[in-house]
Amino acid sequence: MLQPFFQWMQGLAFSKFFLESIWPTPIVQCIHLVAIAVFVGALLMVDLRLLGKGLSDMPLPRVARAAEPWLIGAFVVLVLTGIPQMTSTALKQYYSPFFWWKMEMVLIGVILTVTIRRKLASKDESELGPVLPKMVGLASIALWTSVTIGARLIGLLS
Amino acid sequence: MRTLFEFIDALPSSVSLRESLNAYVYLLTLHVVSMGVVAGIIGFWDMRLAGMALKWVPVTKVQSGLFPWMIGGTVVNALTGFLMVYSQPMRYFPNFWFWTKMGMLVVVAANAAFFHLSIEKTVDEWEHDPVAPFKARLAGYVSLVFWVGIIATGRMTAYSGLVPQWWIDLGLG
Repeated sequence: MLQPFFQWMQGLAFSKFFLESIWPTPIVQCIHLVAIAVFVGALLMVDLRLLGKGLSDMPLPRVARAAEPWLIGAFVVLVLTGIPQMTSTALKQYYSPFFWWKMEMVLIGVILTVTIRRKLASKDESELGPVLPKMVGLASIALWTSVTIGARLIGLLS
Repeated sequence: MRTLFEFIDALPSSVSLRESLNAYVYLLTLHVVSMGVVAGIIGFWDMRLAGMALKWVPVTKVQSGLFPWMIGGTVVNALTGFLMVYSQPMRYFPNFWFWTKMGMLVVVAANAAFFHLSIEKTVDEWEHDPVAPFKARLAGYVSLVFWVGIIATGRMTAYSGLVPQWWIDLGLG
């Protein structure tokens, strides 16, 4: 169903530019990787805190508020640097199971992060109980890890 | 150095790892995942020292809370990195980006050691300060810049032909 859309992306002048020039693609890939590091740092700080680890002496809402701008900023950079990598190899992506796996995990990860994880992290810990925050922290780590694995496998196995 | 790399290249364990269908896929994937953990945590540690993030968290709390995870990530990261080179030493030996990355790793290690042996000795006096002393901020900035370089040159290792002409002229490959 989406095949014509991916065909269209592949044919864009924007895609051709990235395919036919030498430096833009590797530069975008490098920025994408640096953004992964910032994203993982901001993510892990809060997820570990939800698990009762990491910055466990610091109040959860404060840790979450400190991490949020970095998490959002890194995500924006990841999307912006992901777009040329997707459009310039759109048909490869379309036929790669790992691309679709990655995007599904991103979607679920974003939904988890902006709904229950965000809500939990803004509350005082005494209201949370022992189980739910740990489940959310683990789910978040698992989801974003599978995003990274899926992403790497697009390049290696597609 | 070339002799060492050629010696490893000929070892049966290197050959079997090189010829394994999946080893490289697992190694590189684990290397990227653990990179996120290592560089993510070190990045926030550096930003705390540089006064860019977590200014309200005592410096020693960032260290005691997050360093065990960073070290766990480093073990996986270093091991997977070592095994990738071990399995294809003659692919990495002539690679400009690989050696640039190794050089940068030496710089961040020296920077961390210098921090540890100098300004960190008085950390009790300044760990609550939102802005750390100059030497600590400097260590943070140096580490940030070189870690960006390590990540970038790590990615560039795949582009072994996209290197300065003088490097090609060395004729290592």
